[in-house]
Amino acid sequence: MRKHLTDGELRAVLDGEFDSGGLRHLENCIDCQARQRQVRAESEKITHRLAFLASGDEPAPLPQKAWANFSQRILIKKETSMFKKWFAFPVVRFGTAALLILALILAFPGTRALAGELLNLFRIQQVAVVPVDFTGLEQLTGDGVLGNQFTDLISNSMNITQEPGDPTEAADAAEASQLAGFNVRLPQSATPSQIYVMDGAAFSLTVDRAKAQALLDEAGRGDLVLPESVDGADISVSIPASASAAYGTCPRPQADSSETEDTERRYPDCVILAQIPSPSVSAPADLDINQLAQIGLEFTGMSADEAANFTSTVDWTSTLVVPIPSNSANYEQVTVDGVAGTLIQRPSREGEPTTFELLWVRDGIIYAISGRGANSDQAVEMANSLP
Amino acid sequence: MIDSMKKLDSPVVEKAQTESVSSAFEALFLEHWARVYRLLCRLVGNPAEAEDLALEAFVRLYQRKPVSQDEFNVGGWLHRVATNLGLQSIRGWKRRERYELTAGKYALEEAGADGPAEIMIREEEQRLARLALANMNERQSQLLVMRYAGSSYKEIAETLKLAPTSIGPLLLRAEREFEKQYRALTQEERP
Repeated sequence: MRKHLTDGELRAVLDGEFDSGGLRHLENCIDCQARQRQVRAESEKITHRLAFLASGDEPAPLPQKAWANFSQRILIKKETSMFKKWFAFPVVRFGTAALLILALILAFPGTRALAGELLNLFRIQQVAVVPVDFTGLEQLTGDGVLGNQFTDLISNSMNITQEPGDPTEAADAAEASQLAGFNVRLPQSATPSQIYVMDGAAFSLTVDRAKAQALLDEAGRGDLVLPESVDGADISVSIPASASAAYGTCPRPQADSSETEDTERRYPDCVILAQIPSPSVSAPADLDINQLAQIGLEFTGMSADEAANFTSTVDWTSTLVVPIPSNSANYEQVTVDGVAGTLIQRPSREGEPTTFELLWVRDGIIYAISGRGANSDQAVEMANSLP
Repeated sequence: MIDSMKKLDSPVVEKAQTESVSSAFEALFLEHWARVYRLLCRLVGNPAEAEDLALEAFVRLYQRKPVSQDEFNVGGWLHRVATNLGLQSIRGWKRRERYELTAGKYALEEAGADGPAEIMIREEEQRLARLALANMNERQSQLLVMRYAGSSYKEIAETLKLAPTSIGPLLLRAEREFEKQYRALTQEERP
């Protein structure tokens, strides 16, 4: 004699997905029949609630048109993937992420045009921090209309001249120096768990004023007017190879930056020391990038006066301006490695761990030490122990 | 029913991924596009959002690393990824206003002969059902979406990598969890 059917088997019977042996039992079992009525009643209620999922003949966008949209999307993703790869590397991930590039483009202006020269060339010698409201910048890097518009703008105006490639692992500082092409300094008192070298990258941008202005208008900042002179300006950015040493248990460099948040939570003792020679930016000498920098700062929520004041206090030709969230990070000047550095700390918030980043520039090399936890002293100690 | 849930040899998929938006991938796209779009349209209730999510599902297929197994169930994979994207999108709705602006407009267009009151009630029920699905664990909501979209137990088992005999019990459990979530949402929103 077959055992009684389970409720799950009775559910399968309702869908005609049960074996004939079970059905024969059901025909002769009053108990199973009673339970089946109950299962049927439950199931009918769900069928009613989920009826909208049932297959229909909704008109779908024409496949060829959809294919064209898909191809366009792939093209944009390919062109922006270089940035994602670069941003995923520790030297950028832990510090300024996408904003570093924005800072380079928007805030690296040409106030010192040398007479007779066609281009201004800028190199970083120091770091300055500017607290800003990130709302506007998040809109640009998000998935919304504005984010897509920004991606389109970058994609259509950018020409990648050197792709960064994948990170290469190095055994020690000497090998890293050889691969990176500059003297990689690592503290002798600690042994890194990983050392990676990332190839350099280069790209050029041709500014499309109309599209950039449309972006500002879309963001509700039509009051910020880009100067006519920016239209068609060619800006070239060259990013040298960088090296990164990880201490503690750290993630391997990710090609996909979308995994960044999760991996950061999983490696609470990870400290990363990253170093990169100054990127160089060249722009037409007649381009008033001071004005663009001011517009960029106003876009982040600064008043016109505040932006003008900040712009006038910074030597834009040699300063990397790092925007930090005004409401969730604090910073202080510290002396490290024999020079002035900036220690940025982000207190724990909404489940995110406390983090710190120490940035400084020495002999044309930008250094960054990043980690989790409130003990930022270890970053200062590490910086001071560099040979 | 998942039509064309046929399996493709992995070299076809690999070929499609190594060439730049190749003709092999185009054929695959054209074959599966309407089904993926329709699934998402029913799931999120908004054609524009469905189109965006469907394109994203194909982008993920395009970016997927070449498979190591002998065969790759493209139809099942797309169904699973599209459903997850749809559910993620529903979770992101957060505010009722946005839902009404998007799905509500679509419902009005699709309403046929129903009056405004009937449309509102049906729309509210669908909104709660979608949120209840999104609140469940992934496997349970996948199971319900597949079954109520018309997939057979065999197709569900293949796509979700389950034993065919376990589908009945799992489906019943998922339905009970769905009802629990639905009722909780009804209570939550009752004035």
